[in-house]
Amino acid sequence: MTDATKVAAAASSRDPAVGLAAVASLRGLLESLEELQVSNARAQGWSWQQIADVLRVTRQAVHKKYRRFGL
Amino acid sequence: MFERFTTKARDTVIGAQEVARRFDADTVGSEHLLAALYEQRGNLALTVLEALSVPREEVEAELERIRTGGVATPSDAEALATLGIDLDEVRRQVEEAFGPGALDRTRSGMSRRWGWRKGHLPFGRDAKKVLNLALREALLLKHNYIGCEHILLGMLHEGTGAAGVFLRSRGVRQDATRIIVEELLKRRRAG
Repeated sequence: MTDATKVAAAASSRDPAVGLAAVASLRGLLESLEELQVSNARAQGWSWQQIADVLRVTRQAVHKKYRRFGL
Repeated sequence: MFERFTTKARDTVIGAQEVARRFDADTVGSEHLLAALYEQRGNLALTVLEALSVPREEVEAELERIRTGGVATPSDAEALATLGIDLDEVRRQVEEAFGPGALDRTRSGMSRRWGWRKGHLPFGRDAKKVLNLALREALLLKHNYIGCEHILLGMLHEGTGAAGVFLRSRGVRQDATRIIVEELLKRRRAG
């Protein structure tokens, strides 16, 4: 099996182990990308409110989550 | 201590990282050191292992068994590929905007067990113990260097993890191995 067909087979599988692992990895990737973007926005002088608006969450949520990063 | 290692022993330690990564481990274990010994051609430990009929294939099969005995989670890259996401491509894009290693330096990136982090894997307790015991073996044999054969002898101490358990199950004993090593060295010196 080529890599491409292996991927296709996995994607169409209803095996929870495959599907759930993909969700977990996706969540991790999401966290990494959000962290990068939030810190970049702060570095460029964006307010927590501005960041929250674009992320479509409350200002409190984003501030609470990233305050500990010292941004 | 590392400066006393021979080139092959050093390369074994470095190679063990690569083996651990290949088998999706989160730390380097003694079993990865054992597999790495097979990658250094002509080392004394390998001569011993061959003489005692421990082929590379069986060691690799053991690593495979250990891997699937744990939680058989696919790596993040494989898991994301099932959704059509190419992690290497994501990394490339992110690094283009934020610089080399940007994705891997995020907190989420650094905490991932099989993560997108491609860097250094830490040595587990048993692998560290094996390396310390290798030094002890060298001192015991009055050698002023630490070679692959001392690493092998280090693995054969009781309670040093997966490599020792596997080797003992194959009938490899520390005292007998030590005698073979000394004999081989004697022959090598005699030319």
